[in-house]
Amino acid sequence: MSRWLAEVVAVAAKDLRAELRTRVALNALALFALTTLAAVSYTIGPFRLAEEDRPFLLAVLLWIVILFAALAGLDRSFVKEEESRTAPLLRLAAAPSVVWAGKLVYNLCLIVVLTAMLTPLFCVLMGFEVALPWRFAVLLAAGGLGLAVITTIIAAIIAQAMTRGALFSVLSLPLLLPLVIFLIQGTTAVSTGDLETYRNSLRAVLSMTGVMTIASAWLFPLVWRD
Amino acid sequence: MGRVGATLKWLLLIWMLVVIWAAFLWVPSAQGFKGESSRIVFFHVPTAWVATLAFLVSCIASVMYLRRRSPVDDHRAAVSAGLGLLFAILATVTGAIFARIMWGAYWNWDPRQTSITILLLIYAAYFALRGAVPDPEKRATLAAVYSILAFVTVPFLVFVVPRIYFSLHPDVVTNPDPDNRLDSAHALVLLASTMGFTGLYAWLYSVGSRIEAIRHRRRQEVL
Repeated sequence: MSRWLAEVVAVAAKDLRAELRTRVALNALALFALTTLAAVSYTIGPFRLAEEDRPFLLAVLLWIVILFAALAGLDRSFVKEEESRTAPLLRLAAAPSVVWAGKLVYNLCLIVVLTAMLTPLFCVLMGFEVALPWRFAVLLAAGGLGLAVITTIIAAIIAQAMTRGALFSVLSLPLLLPLVIFLIQGTTAVSTGDLETYRNSLRAVLSMTGVMTIASAWLFPLVWRD
Repeated sequence: MGRVGATLKWLLLIWMLVVIWAAFLWVPSAQGFKGESSRIVFFHVPTAWVATLAFLVSCIASVMYLRRRSPVDDHRAAVSAGLGLLFAILATVTGAIFARIMWGAYWNWDPRQTSITILLLIYAAYFALRGAVPDPEKRATLAAVYSILAFVTVPFLVFVVPRIYFSLHPDVVTNPDPDNRLDSAHALVLLASTMGFTGLYAWLYSVGSRIEAIRHRRRQEVL
């Protein structure tokens, strides 16, 4: 078990090191998020929305920005291996479960960086008030994990196909939509302070993440095997 | 297809004609619905059921493919997903007509409408994936994996999303309140219609699978 963990960390560390050299995925994520946020903030700003609509509409906008930024950069995890022709070597060097978990950790790191950078900026620029800050952090973490799990397995699938960029969004969006609906519900609830709805949405997010984790852990070796 | 198959085909035709006759002329119009709008339930519920069944069959065929690696299973999964998409569109259209009559608009993003839209998107994405992989074996594997991933999100769409948001969608089949259930004549026609549509699905599925088998054989001959 500890050996497995060490190998997972090694795969994730390799990807993070390669990422820090070129910063392709990080730049894509950060710039996409910042550009969208600038456009949203410029057109709507902190005063344009009616008071009673604010929590819900701002929750929708926040998740749209996160979702689109995620779709812009998270496919790199596997596409990079195919493009640089390092995938066969990785197949020889590590067990499929190790590769899957390592890439998941790598994608999760990218999402954590993205949300940690974007969410405070969003709250400041849009005047998004959060009544339950700690619970908001828990919801963001759960949502980030769900996003990472789903995008990791889809990235593994589309790395094997043609027209990768468009296909990544086409395949990920429908699977992410239910998750994003629950997350928007929960984000509205942490803004208004509605604990009951928050708990229900968090439960839905966690159960969907759990089901997707089990399904992708089981299916990944079949995709990864040449 | 032997004599039994031909007989079954004719039986299916007669069965469906009787169901259509009963749905429009025999059953009295249900209480609490505008005009004759309740009759659409005899077509809406069976098509929705067949769509779910077809997606389930596609998922099972995908699991079988990943186990046995036989191209036949891949063809079955694709044919069944296509039929599921067709019947899901039929269920969406019949639902939208009912929504127009009862609630005043074809589309209002009721949770049921939201979840069926996502379902249609998922299976449309399944065919987009199939189109993007040229190698047949790789295509079959990736499509099977995506089909299974798609199927595990279905419970969230069908059961969780409509429960979190308020829905106008009537709940006459599984409603725990006995006053709100279907009476016996309606239940009988609904059951007959569901059986008829299931038979129709089985027939289309067997035709589709045979067409795919012929195409596969032709491709083998050309190579």
